[in-house]
Amino acid sequence: MSSSKKFLSHAPSTAVPASLPADEAAAAAFEADQGLTNHHFTPGEHPIVRIEHLNKSFGDTVVLRDVNLNVWPGEVVVVLGPSGSGKSTMLRCVNLLETPTAGHILIEDDEITGKSAADVNKLRRDVGMVFQQFNLFPHLTAKENVMIGQVKVLKKPKEEAAAEAMKQLDAVGLADRADFKPGQLSGGQQQRVAIARAVAMHPDVLLFDEPTSALDPELVRGVLDVMRDLAENSGMTMIVVTHEMGFARDVADRVVFMEGGVIVEQGIPADVFDHPKNPRTAEFLGSID
Amino acid sequence: MGLRTHIKAPALAAALLAVVLALPCSALAMTTDKATAKPNEDGGSGVIGGMDTRLTWEGTVEEGESVDSVTLTIADDASFDGSTTRITVLEGLTRVNIEGEAAADGNSITVSFADPIPAGSLLRLEVTNMRFPSEGGDYSVEGSYVDGGQTKELAASPSISIIANTPLQSVVNWLDEQPWVAAWNSNQFLGMFFKPQLLVTSFSSLFPGWVLCLGIVIACYPFAIVLGLVFSLLKISKHRLCRAVAVVYINVLRGTPLFLQIYIMFFGLPMVGINIDNNLLGIIVMAVNSSAYLAEIFRAGIQSIPRGQYEAASSLGMSYVQTMFSVILPQTVRRVIPTVTSDFITAFKDTSLLSSVGVMELMMFSKNLTTVSGNITPYVAAGIFYLIVTLPLIKVVGVVEERIAASESGLSRKPRKRDQKKGVPSVQ
Repeated sequence: MSSSKKFLSHAPSTAVPASLPADEAAAAAFEADQGLTNHHFTPGEHPIVRIEHLNKSFGDTVVLRDVNLNVWPGEVVVVLGPSGSGKSTMLRCVNLLETPTAGHILIEDDEITGKSAADVNKLRRDVGMVFQQFNLFPHLTAKENVMIGQVKVLKKPKEEAAAEAMKQLDAVGLADRADFKPGQLSGGQQQRVAIARAVAMHPDVLLFDEPTSALDPELVRGVLDVMRDLAENSGMTMIVVTHEMGFARDVADRVVFMEGGVIVEQGIPADVFDHPKNPRTAEFLGSID
Repeated sequence: MGLRTHIKAPALAAALLAVVLALPCSALAMTTDKATAKPNEDGGSGVIGGMDTRLTWEGTVEEGESVDSVTLTIADDASFDGSTTRITVLEGLTRVNIEGEAAADGNSITVSFADPIPAGSLLRLEVTNMRFPSEGGDYSVEGSYVDGGQTKELAASPSISIIANTPLQSVVNWLDEQPWVAAWNSNQFLGMFFKPQLLVTSFSSLFPGWVLCLGIVIACYPFAIVLGLVFSLLKISKHRLCRAVAVVYINVLRGTPLFLQIYIMFFGLPMVGINIDNNLLGIIVMAVNSSAYLAEIFRAGIQSIPRGQYEAASSLGMSYVQTMFSVILPQTVRRVIPTVTSDFITAFKDTSLLSSVGVMELMMFSKNLTTVSGNITPYVAAGIFYLIVTLPLIKVVGVVEERIAASESGLSRKPRKRDQKKGVPSVQ
């Protein structure tokens, strides 16, 4: 871990030892996150996600170094950073699509790293994910896509799942496309169906992995509107990896800037965008505009 | 209506005499010694109704009689129209030249002799190009004769067994009469490979073989699909032993000729005391062989599904089994339909190898027919039977491939009619 030490000095660390009892860990996290987020803390609140000393390597390539992050109930965290900075990998570690090399991830004070396959499946129903490439099931209609998780995983009766699916499709403005196959929908519509699919599982946290990066510019807006609506009106806890600066500034409670597998800077959007402390952050934000 | 007398060879005359001497000649009426019809079945020994045949009738003129004419009659639907009659008269060992004239009238023919047939002589009438009734059955020749102005009944002959003439046979008969068929067959190549008459009979004779081929491949395929799926899943398994089992199974079966596998199973199993019905064993061999190819097709299909599909299913909390059966395999099915259909076509054609071990399938039937007829046409007919199945399937492969290509390139099908009726605007 000697290499990560060097970066630690740059990163505003929020590390909370995993060994601490939940209440003490929550208190420590609360201390650490003061001033870094617009989230309105309630007394005695525990973070939904705690990432502690997360490291990830692919072979010899180190992708994440000692990443620490707490996400609070209802908080919207937007992760920014150049390509290859490890943003997506961090996100994928949270629902174990990637297995962390070292470190701990806790969802609602429950350690998820090192679990059996069955427990991992259980965890994943609480952590929804929206992918860059939508990954809708092409052989199913929009409605069936939103139903399948409810029926197969939550074991809901079909009628109930169908009603929920229609409700969620309506929420993303696609009730009239319920019987369309993904191949008959535009990219933006597909991504909105994918969001409906994830939300229909009523997860504790929703992860967005560059949800608008594969879309034509004119379709981005519709997807962002749906995400904004989710954040502002449903109180959904969201971790969003994106390049949409406008969305980050307007919707995020906290902005995290990553580079080289390390969290370089984090804070409330106004601070990070207008007064970046780290020169790399300033450079990145400058180059984006 | 030609009529001519015939000079017989001495040997035949002697034989006829022997027959005459053996017969009792007690009655005072003309006797009917025999009545036979010449086989007209293609390659067989039966007499088919409704087809030209030669009727041979023999009688002996009794003492005190002299016959001026003989009328032969067969049941209603028989026909003597267009027939030719040969008259042979033997008086003792001597042939007597007697001219005669034959008049056909539907189901009877009357032969009038220029000179009366003397008593004690043997009369033989050979009527060519006559026909028995098409419906078949047992017929005896009856009739009458005129003895010095007096008409007398002829004794009924022993019955002649006639095979019913099928519609198919009538087609062949019709073809036989066509000049263009004769011209066609006079070309050596056409006559050897595409003889119309044989083509028609082959279709009917080969049909059971074709049904057996289809039966074998249709019966074996569900098993082949299940086995193939099992081994494809074993091959992509995480466990080394599972993968090893699948690799050995698939590679050995794909790496050896089906012919060899058939031989080993058909000759090997009985030697170790396992006796299975030939057709069933054929189904088993075909199923096992196809399953190895299908396993590879399914494996490739499963692995062609993008990783994102697994990740999306996982992110919903679906287990591996749920992911496989609800997400991956339904998509795989679509992708492998063309390849599986191609394999089905191959399997169907490969049933021909079962003829080598005596399964009565299409090739076996055509081999037998070719042996009997000395003509290649039955093999050509077999080829047509194979094509009846394979050509539409080849078309299916093409159509499905086009559809898959269209749906994957985003030029997807139009929304279903149901949606259009609702007035839903088309895709943006």
